[in-house]
Amino acid sequence: MTRIDVSDIQGFALRGYNFPYARYLLLELAPAKQARALLRKLLNVVTTGERWDINNKPQSTVNVAFTHKGLEQLALPLASLLSFPLEFQQGMRARSDILGDSGTNAPERWDPVWREQYVHAWLAVNARTAEALEARSREMQQFIDETGGARLLQSQDAGAIRLHGKFSTSEHFGYTDGFGNPDFKGAERDCVPGQGKLTKRGEWEALATGEFLLGYADEAGELPVSPIPHLLGRNGTFMVYRKLHQNVNTFRAYLDAKGKHYQGGKEKLAAKFVGRWRDGTPLELSPDMADPTIVADPNQNTNFTYGEDPAGIRCPLGAHIRRTHPRDAFGFNGGLVNRRRIMRRGLAYGEYVPEGQPVSDSDERGIIFMALNASIFRQFEFVQQQWIEYGNDARLGNDKDLLLGNHEGKGKFVVQGTADHANPPFICGALPNFVELRGGDYFFLPSLTALAMIATGTVDPR
Amino acid sequence: MANVSGSTYGLTTLSPIIEDNKLNLCHSMQIRWYLSQLPRDHRSPFAQLSSTYLARLVVMDDVVFVGHPACEEHLKSRYLLFETNFDGDLNTYLRRMATEAGEFVNAVWKHCVGFPGTDTVDAFITYMKTCQIETTFFFADVNDQTVESTLNALKTQAALAHFMEKHEGLPPADLQAAFGKFVERLHNAPPLPRGGDESRNIAQERRPHD
Repeated sequence: MTRIDVSDIQGFALRGYNFPYARYLLLELAPAKQARALLRKLLNVVTTGERWDINNKPQSTVNVAFTHKGLEQLALPLASLLSFPLEFQQGMRARSDILGDSGTNAPERWDPVWREQYVHAWLAVNARTAEALEARSREMQQFIDETGGARLLQSQDAGAIRLHGKFSTSEHFGYTDGFGNPDFKGAERDCVPGQGKLTKRGEWEALATGEFLLGYADEAGELPVSPIPHLLGRNGTFMVYRKLHQNVNTFRAYLDAKGKHYQGGKEKLAAKFVGRWRDGTPLELSPDMADPTIVADPNQNTNFTYGEDPAGIRCPLGAHIRRTHPRDAFGFNGGLVNRRRIMRRGLAYGEYVPEGQPVSDSDERGIIFMALNASIFRQFEFVQQQWIEYGNDARLGNDKDLLLGNHEGKGKFVVQGTADHANPPFICGALPNFVELRGGDYFFLPSLTALAMIATGTVDPR
Repeated sequence: MANVSGSTYGLTTLSPIIEDNKLNLCHSMQIRWYLSQLPRDHRSPFAQLSSTYLARLVVMDDVVFVGHPACEEHLKSRYLLFETNFDGDLNTYLRRMATEAGEFVNAVWKHCVGFPGTDTVDAFITYMKTCQIETTFFFADVNDQTVESTLNALKTQAALAHFMEKHEGLPPADLQAAFGKFVERLHNAPPLPRGGDESRNIAQERRPHD
């Protein structure tokens, strides 16, 4: 039985807070002495994974993570710095070739903060209200001013999109997002059907803790690669931060144009792109219409497999959710995908423009995509390279993910179908880039113990 | 026979590399250097040998000692390992190697013991067969199709996808007529360009499949 110490793990690593407001403070750290003073201030306020008292839920949360450059600035011993996995040491910019971040997604085209500078730390505030966000942000700025521990390079706001006066989990293309996140052993919630791994009996169970937290056995029964000393890594994890700009006008125009020719109709085509209807209904469970009762039921909304749909008649082989979480699509009861899972945290940024209103691609609008995993190389980078920017595993040759792929006007998306006139085969070609990368980096999200060691200069690799 | 899977042949050869201590750059290094300079696109010698699925050359210096409890062992010589799989029979492929990629073959194998050159094709074939070891397991992705028919199938698939998208929503009679023309154009298409990057740059008018 795996036991994890939730009071030592940053809350962000254990759960999505589901707060509607967020601000990511991108920091350049001062030399180690002042930067450590800032971290000692943060130690008192960093949100842990402890369960919240129902009558005393916090109004806001604080979490912190560092790039390798940031850990260098904090003067970690060289032996510790060199013990981090290579991809984290290199950072995302240097990994652009293998990630397919070229052309419009190339680092030269990123926002200045990611292109011209080196972000050392990510200081995240999540909040229930706009007031709580401002109050907590002021406190963070006060810490920075008092200690001289950092310089604010950029403040990135994000938040839930408001639909019909209420906060939603929708994103700018109009899809309800954020259904699935892998369950792992020791995390507080029970395994939700569809969210862990498949057993040989076809049931769902939690994944090994070591797929998401350092210091625990992973799906191979091994400890993930972790920095030394052991305490520096244990209860920590790695985070991928990608600012994904969404070309909403391009997306809507493309869907309109193609939807006119698709006999299943525009909304069904939108569903085929992703594998869910825009309200979130999985195509596998309801191929012909959206069904709010399925969406509302946590025992159903991620509880499906692709084994009965090998040709992609219900959910296309290249649909976004089938590519990125193939479940049993590759056979072997899903055994081939258990080491390629990532936890997603993400929030929209920029103003939401309802359907039917004029919208521009050039406005600042998109998703701050964050993924957590024990091995960026084995998990996130594999998914990005093989399942987003390539199609061979899904038997789709070099087709890319329709939504996220770096198509540059080429490429195609195939909707598999039948002779049924409402579900015909259909080809979407000349794909533009619906999403563009505007920057980001790889971060280490330390445990509270590790944060205290870093803050006091007591990391000792001997 | 283990060397054959479906219509695919798997050839493995081990050729001892000449030892000559008087050279500044030993033969094995010369092979490595030459191989590192070879083009990897359509000008690659294996792109010229169009029936090749996959080929690789490895210079093996010695067995690497991996630590206790493994025991320390050594090869009698340095070897050039050559692995290739291709359509058809071995004699035809070796003959094509000698006649169509002779310059490459000579530049590599001249560093190997007993290599007779490619001027006498039969002598070259005999030499390669002498170096051959049985291939018990090899990659044969599509073992009942040739390289050419696989490439044709992929091109046809891409062409069909293009056709479907272009003619979406056409009335049935017009669609049928257009499909008839499409099939005819496919039948009359010239042979596929050779593999490698060059095929991407071929002008549109030379790409009837698209």
